[in-house]
Amino acid sequence: MLYRLLFISLLAFSSCKRDVLFETGLTKYHVGDNVHWSAKNYNDINWKYNRGRTGNKVFWARINVDLQQRLETIGPMGVQVHAFGAYDFYWDGVLIGHNGKPLSTEAKEIPGTEAAVFMLPDSLITPGKHVAAFRLSQMSNGHDLRDVQLKLQNYKPLLRDPLIITAMVHLMAGVFFIASLYYFLFYCYSKQREYSVLIFAFTCLFFFCLLIVEYVKYYVDIPYTQFFIRLKAVGILTFLIASLIPYYFSIQLGFKWKRQMLVLMLGAYAVVFVIQYGHYDYTSMLFSLIMWITCLVTAADATRRKVKGGAVVLTGMLAIPLVHKFALYDIALFISYTIIVTCMLYLHVLRARVLEEQYESTLLLSSRLQLELIKKNIQPHFLRNTLTSLIDWVEESPKQGIQFIKALSDEFYIMNAIAEETQIPVSQEIDLCKKHLSVMQFRKEIDYVWQDEGILPDEALPPAVIHTLLENGITHSAPLENGRMYFKLKFVTTAKQKKYIFETHARNRETYRDQEGGNGFKYIRARLTESYGDQWTFTSGAAHHGWVSVITILT
Amino acid sequence: MRILIIEDEARIAKRLVRMTNQYFEHAPASLTVCDSLSKGINFIQANEIDILLLDLNLNGEDGFDVLQSMVSRPFHTIIVSAYTDKAITAFFYGVLDFVPKPFDEARLFQAFKRLSAKEKPAEISLKYLAVRRSGNITLIDISTVRYINGAGIYSELNLQNDKSVLHDKSLDALEQILPPQFMRIHRSYIVSLTEAKKLIIQPGSRYSLQLHNGELIPVGRLRYKALKEKMG
Repeated sequence: MLYRLLFISLLAFSSCKRDVLFETGLTKYHVGDNVHWSAKNYNDINWKYNRGRTGNKVFWARINVDLQQRLETIGPMGVQVHAFGAYDFYWDGVLIGHNGKPLSTEAKEIPGTEAAVFMLPDSLITPGKHVAAFRLSQMSNGHDLRDVQLKLQNYKPLLRDPLIITAMVHLMAGVFFIASLYYFLFYCYSKQREYSVLIFAFTCLFFFCLLIVEYVKYYVDIPYTQFFIRLKAVGILTFLIASLIPYYFSIQLGFKWKRQMLVLMLGAYAVVFVIQYGHYDYTSMLFSLIMWITCLVTAADATRRKVKGGAVVLTGMLAIPLVHKFALYDIALFISYTIIVTCMLYLHVLRARVLEEQYESTLLLSSRLQLELIKKNIQPHFLRNTLTSLIDWVEESPKQGIQFIKALSDEFYIMNAIAEETQIPVSQEIDLCKKHLSVMQFRKEIDYVWQDEGILPDEALPPAVIHTLLENGITHSAPLENGRMYFKLKFVTTAKQKKYIFETHARNRETYRDQEGGNGFKYIRARLTESYGDQWTFTSGAAHHGWVSVITILT
Repeated sequence: MRILIIEDEARIAKRLVRMTNQYFEHAPASLTVCDSLSKGINFIQANEIDILLLDLNLNGEDGFDVLQSMVSRPFHTIIVSAYTDKAITAFFYGVLDFVPKPFDEARLFQAFKRLSAKEKPAEISLKYLAVRRSGNITLIDISTVRYINGAGIYSELNLQNDKSVLHDKSLDALEQILPPQFMRIHRSYIVSLTEAKKLIIQPGSRYSLQLHNGELIPVGRLRYKALKEKMG
């Protein structure tokens, strides 16, 4: 349906004006075969206006033509014939040409096309009465008792106009093709695969196909026996487009009863299809109407919920009936479709902006976490306390002071190496922890013991997560009776999850005020979210031996 | 001198102990180290001390609560901290000194010297006096204080709104931390010079200072000259 508008609008600047003035009488039919029936003066008074079923027989058709005036006399005149079957065409008794080959005693019918164009000799186009006669057979599609009809026009525009229109339509189809290609690739190569993008790509692809299929008739000879295949394809494409557009809107505008509405819509399409079976144009029109109602409901609901873009789509949908009121049906359809596609694109842009903002905020989060990681070693509490201890070691026992410096430099080295990573091998994390412990050993003069169990060295996890737990353990615990503190990292993996269990074996300090993990836990949670989305859990709490934290990553 | 050190880093605590012992070698010093704030607070509640060396994480909100609670007490507080950017705020609340980490002997000694120095070095001066009242700490803006008089081991702050509150520190201890516009004019009185109106000589060579609100504050015989100079 939608392509019709193009036809009209394009015709507007190709050649809409009639260059031949003529009138035709009603077509008369007669079953039988006689070459004299083509004669201009033959008396066809007994012939019928109703052709009736002709079955496997040859039959004739005659049309009286009153050629009044040729407004444009340059070049030959032509005639366009619409008919089903195969036929020989006579003008005033002169054989002008064939469309296919009608049945004869020697040969079977070779099917012709539904439309055909013939050139008329200049000697036969004097103003006045003329007779077009057809010797036909219609062996297939016998139920379709289609009239034979003709129209006079100059020969050149008869051939050229459809080509101009086809060229224009193909230009337009190319735009949709590129759009669909772009959005297909966009879908395939984007990290966050948005369903709506795929739907939009398919909508564009189907519209491209629709335009091509509709206009293929101007450059591909389709025998009348295959005539309905094209129409069926047009019907299916219209159905697909009319289904995808409301689906797209319901996704983008977050319609709550999406499923119910789509089922209802498809039900309506089915009803229309069954009731109007065979009425291709009318079916398409009803499909468009149902599609419009569905989109309208979705947009109205979105506007009520103050969804961004809802009001714009609603305005677009409400403009469509106005367009239909003031514009010709076909042109209105074109404008309507333009409005719909614009609305779709608008929603897509809104969505793209949301995604862009999300992406930016993830980047921001990542760089914030990077910064936090770097800050770990330069924050005053760590750095200045470490330096104070270091000065003391250097002053009091320079040899150990040097070992201290070495340990500190090793910790800095690892920190520097992982600063920009979002995930590192657990073996590197353990190295970092061990270096941190040797630094802290110099500061706190407590015997720290590191233990691990079940570690797969190459297993990746976000940097400095265990390190943060270790820091908390050091800050909030006092050594056991034997002057030692034990830290134990266990790794347990099952089919559905990976688990890091970090235990501090020490006495928990009674804190001045209840202290939550604070910034340390925030860092851990943010890092886990960055790497695993919501597929993780983190718990931390006192245990009989001290403190235990568990990070579970769902796989 | 009775000194308490609150420091959870063993190595730094040792350093502080060593240097403190060195400084007070001539004065008998009792020295206690607590490795956590809660232990330190328990100790303060059970024992009297003269100086507290406190490692305080002033970045947490708790930090300032602890700070206020400490400076409201009779002893002097010296903060030894890594959070050097909070030094100014610490001085506002009336710490004797703020020793930034890492520190050396000279810097720590400098802090101890303030205890005995008569002239305060020009420093960032305190803005608030933290006062304990029925367990709560109230901050008194120093600019609202007219004068302070000694009341036994306490001091009585006399405010512009004609009310008065008791502070746990002695007049001597307060004198060491108050800003320059406060002057000791008598054994038992410190006044804010912004409140002073004129000097009055009474019969029998008794001197008094009249404040803007009319109150008369006695002036010590030996301090009269210095006060007269300051008032111009």
